[in-house]
Amino acid sequence: MPLKNLYIKPRMKNELQQLESSALKALKEVKTLDELKDLEVKFLGRKGELTGILRGLKDLSPAEKPEMGALSNTVKKKLEAAFASKQQKLENDSLEQQLSGQFFDTTIPGKSRPIGHIHPLSQIQEEVERIFSQMGFSIADGPEIESEYYNFEGLNIPADHPARDMQDTFFIEGKDHKDHGRMVLRTHTSPVQVRSMEKYGAPLRLIVPGRVFRNEATDASHDHTFDQVEGILIDENISIAHLKGVMKEFLTRLFGKEVNVRFRPGYFPFVEPGLELDFSCLICEGKGCRVCKKTGWVEFMGSGMIHENVLKAGGVDHKKYQGWAFGFGLTRLVMMRYGIDDIRHLTNGDLRFNHQF
Amino acid sequence: MLISLDWLKDFVDLPANTDPQELGTLLTLKTAEVEKVESESAQFDNMVAGLVLSISKHPDADKLQVAKVSIGKETSQIVCGGANLKEGMYVAVTKPGSFVRWHGEGDLIELKTTKVRGVESEGMIAASCELGIDNPEEGEEDIMDLSAIKPEPGTPLAEIFQKNDTIFEFDNKSLTHRPDLWGHHGIAREVAALTGGKFKKLEPKVKIPTKGESPKVEIKDFKLCPRYCGLIINNITVEESPDWLKKRLKATGHGTHSNIVDITNYVMHELGQPLHAFDKSYIEGGIIVRTATDKEKITTLDNKKRELSSEMLVIADHKKPVAIAGVMGGENSEINEKTTSIIIESANFHASNIRKTATKLGLRTDAVQRFEKSLDPLLAELALLRAAELILKVCPNAEIAGPITDVKKFSEKTLEISFDTEKAASKIGAKISSAEMKKFLESLEFEVSGTGKTLKVKVPSFRATKDVAIEDDLVEEVARMYGYDNLAPELPPLPINLPRENTERFKKHRARELFSYGLGFDEIKGYSFYSKTDLENCLMTEEAHLKVLNFLSEDQTHMRTHMTPSILKALQVNVKNFPELRIYEVGRTYLEIGEFMPLEEKIIAGAVMIKGESDEPFYEVKGAVEAFLSKFKIKTKFSQGTEALPYAHPTKSASFLAKNGDSIAKIAMLHPTVQKNHDLKGHSIAFFEINFTEALKLENPDYKFTALPKFPSILLDISVLVDENIEITKIANAIKQANTNLIKNVELFDIYQGEGIPEGKKAVAFKIETQAPDRTLTDPEMNEIKNKIFKNLEALGGKIRGA
Repeated sequence: MPLKNLYIKPRMKNELQQLESSALKALKEVKTLDELKDLEVKFLGRKGELTGILRGLKDLSPAEKPEMGALSNTVKKKLEAAFASKQQKLENDSLEQQLSGQFFDTTIPGKSRPIGHIHPLSQIQEEVERIFSQMGFSIADGPEIESEYYNFEGLNIPADHPARDMQDTFFIEGKDHKDHGRMVLRTHTSPVQVRSMEKYGAPLRLIVPGRVFRNEATDASHDHTFDQVEGILIDENISIAHLKGVMKEFLTRLFGKEVNVRFRPGYFPFVEPGLELDFSCLICEGKGCRVCKKTGWVEFMGSGMIHENVLKAGGVDHKKYQGWAFGFGLTRLVMMRYGIDDIRHLTNGDLRFNHQF
Repeated sequence: MLISLDWLKDFVDLPANTDPQELGTLLTLKTAEVEKVESESAQFDNMVAGLVLSISKHPDADKLQVAKVSIGKETSQIVCGGANLKEGMYVAVTKPGSFVRWHGEGDLIELKTTKVRGVESEGMIAASCELGIDNPEEGEEDIMDLSAIKPEPGTPLAEIFQKNDTIFEFDNKSLTHRPDLWGHHGIAREVAALTGGKFKKLEPKVKIPTKGESPKVEIKDFKLCPRYCGLIINNITVEESPDWLKKRLKATGHGTHSNIVDITNYVMHELGQPLHAFDKSYIEGGIIVRTATDKEKITTLDNKKRELSSEMLVIADHKKPVAIAGVMGGENSEINEKTTSIIIESANFHASNIRKTATKLGLRTDAVQRFEKSLDPLLAELALLRAAELILKVCPNAEIAGPITDVKKFSEKTLEISFDTEKAASKIGAKISSAEMKKFLESLEFEVSGTGKTLKVKVPSFRATKDVAIEDDLVEEVARMYGYDNLAPELPPLPINLPRENTERFKKHRARELFSYGLGFDEIKGYSFYSKTDLENCLMTEEAHLKVLNFLSEDQTHMRTHMTPSILKALQVNVKNFPELRIYEVGRTYLEIGEFMPLEEKIIAGAVMIKGESDEPFYEVKGAVEAFLSKFKIKTKFSQGTEALPYAHPTKSASFLAKNGDSIAKIAMLHPTVQKNHDLKGHSIAFFEINFTEALKLENPDYKFTALPKFPSILLDISVLVDENIEITKIANAIKQANTNLIKNVELFDIYQGEGIPEGKKAVAFKIETQAPDRTLTDPEMNEIKNKIFKNLEALGGKIRGA
């Protein structure tokens, strides 16, 4: 083996190390992709410095070749990785720069998909149904055209009761029945009380949302057609305290904040004791404002313990079972909820109103 | 109803520090709704008597003077324009902070210290009209002169005018079932029970002679008049009522007439028993209580001639009717200034008869309001004695002519109810002891005997006419006395077997979500009725319609049998505001089906309306109905045309049928005549009607998952030229028939007529999806399918344009 070969290996090792450090140093200074390309050619290209050094491999002894070969490969891989990473960085930088220079108007209105609207009355009705369902109430239905029997007599409203006056009730022409009397547009959802007792018996736990009719002139707060929700709970030992609990819970869930309720004596022929229920004004939280006429309470519904004559009419054993019923205005609830000042908006079909919900 | 606190105090001892507002709330929570508690003196706040010390001329105004007025310890400078203002005069000073009505007109205005033409004025010296006080003697430019009274300067005007009462305004509706509360005496009894104050029962001190002249009374119908008490009083002087009487009547919102009439009204407001006074000299031959003869006429006290009918009760003498019983007196026997001898009537009438008479005559009076509540027959005598007592007080010369005539036929048996206190407690939902319940009932004058679980309760006559009849009525008495406010809210135990959901209701909401949020339709709510014109505009007949007997207006006479008329109305309402409309309603129709109860069907109906002439809306509603059917997994058969839908276009219409042929949904373009009738020309309108109840019956709840395909599908586009009258379904079927196993889907994507297409033809393009479950289809297989499709299309007379 020629003597000069003895120096080749250490020199080559040295050269590779120097190449590595000077290439990495130069890489740090690179600012553009073009510079990077040039540098890559200079160090790693076909005629580049690394290739130059590697030419010396052939002069090494067969024993030295694998060692230097491995070393040079390591240096090459390291530099290639450094170049690749630099290239990635420069490309990212350049993309970021390009993107951030772009003008884009985010204030142009969003492209709207044609979405329709569900009537507010339907929306609140669903909420009411959901809450009562969660409290174990079924949702029932009844006819809107009713017999006088179910609308009145069955509910302990005899023929000479003021509520029977023609001016409050719509009658249907030419419909008479020897047991059921004339045919009326139901004036309340209460006929479902007797109907559901007959159908399901006791115990009974249900609500009935639905359309009712009153023969009265229309103005901003009265319409001849509106919606009510009837509720009934019949079982053994059902009390007024339960009614208080259920209504407090219902209103609290509906309004999403703590609501209090209070009872006042009220008179309805189909309940005894009869009760009016008020809830604490949500606007002033009971301090008194215009909405609650400075009382802190908002009148909400009529209710009471179901009259024994009504239980009897429904075929329920009034000695064993007792319970309560209530009826509130769904339409009024919608108006309160959204601050709607004219009831006629709800039925005149003007979509400029419906589109707000 | 207005109740005076001052008057109440005649019958109940209240602690001196009783807050009227709190008493009002207590009554609201336990008895009946008090809508307002108003202090009479409130309107005289910051108003005092003043003494004019000196007057000087206003430097800058001819008609104004500057007065120094003593208002007690202080002296105010007030600019005044009163023509009668002079030194040493006692005047009414309205200080800053008071509210007055400027020259008696307009709204109340709050006074402030202000400069009048440069001179400061601390309030003003008021004229009577500015305080709301009538004083006809006061000149138009004058101020109120209090010199006759010479009040101490600084004395509140409320004190001087005796405006010291408080008025409770009750909601009449909340007193419907309480005949005993229609006067001060009854309210006082209730207040006594609520507050524990002593009730001072009215006991008239009047001596009724045992001999002498009594009115002759005959009752023809004791059902309509269970009791009639009458009394003759002679030697009376009809004149203006004394101040105390006028003040109380005014406080309860009542006008004043003459002493006799005022006393009858006074007793009514006190006891709730309406009275009537006749001038005896006009009564010929005694009183008969009878029903009227048909078309009998009477002129009532309001100067109106009324025609009566045979079910109405009248008070008559032997010649003529002199009053409509319990409603209003007749002009022919009215008290006048020459009256010296009177008959006072205190009677009991049948409640609903009175109400019906009043309703029929359109005559609601204070008397009707009370009689229709079912008054206690025992009250009649007490009220008559009280009236006699007051007449003797007001007319000291008056003489009672003789004994009371008392004709009656009613049960005086006391009602006794057995009361289960445990049951009561369970209904109320509170632990209330039997002893406590007994105490509550006794405070309301129920007589209670027994102890423990079962009490025997005797109902006082004034509560027994209607209000308290059964055990639950006593539960109410106990509950309200215990106080509803004292009940702790309690949730009922939740049953384990929760009810199944009302699926129809639940699905109605899902359908709304589909139509609104999925398909972009707006929900509307229409009325359940329409007019004859409406149905005629829709080319419908009155057949199967239920008619409203007492409709409110001519456009709401028929119950709707179809929903589309409501939908068309909504289109009309919105046509000017929206270029395109997609609306629907979930509602009911009402059909006369020859039975007593009509058929109510739940329907979803809707319409699409766009501008210009186009069949596009038809395909939109078709797509909407298909989306609905697909969402609810309802299988139907599509069929050309609709049965009996007069407002549908005869050919541009179709139905979705159940297996048995029943129509589940209908779609159609609106008939051009109907469109014209609704002034909707220039638009294209299609509508749909889904019978929701029937549709849900076809729902398939057992719908199951289908495995995803394992091999890719291959798409094929084919365009074919065919006769324009060949239906698309026919062509699509021809394609499908080429290989029913491998052709999965045939989708129309273009129909073209126009340039390049021969007259009478149309070019139709389909996207065809082919797929095998177990392999990828090969080219030869695809070619075979294609050729078969071509052959089928050519059999229809089609010419392949491209594939």
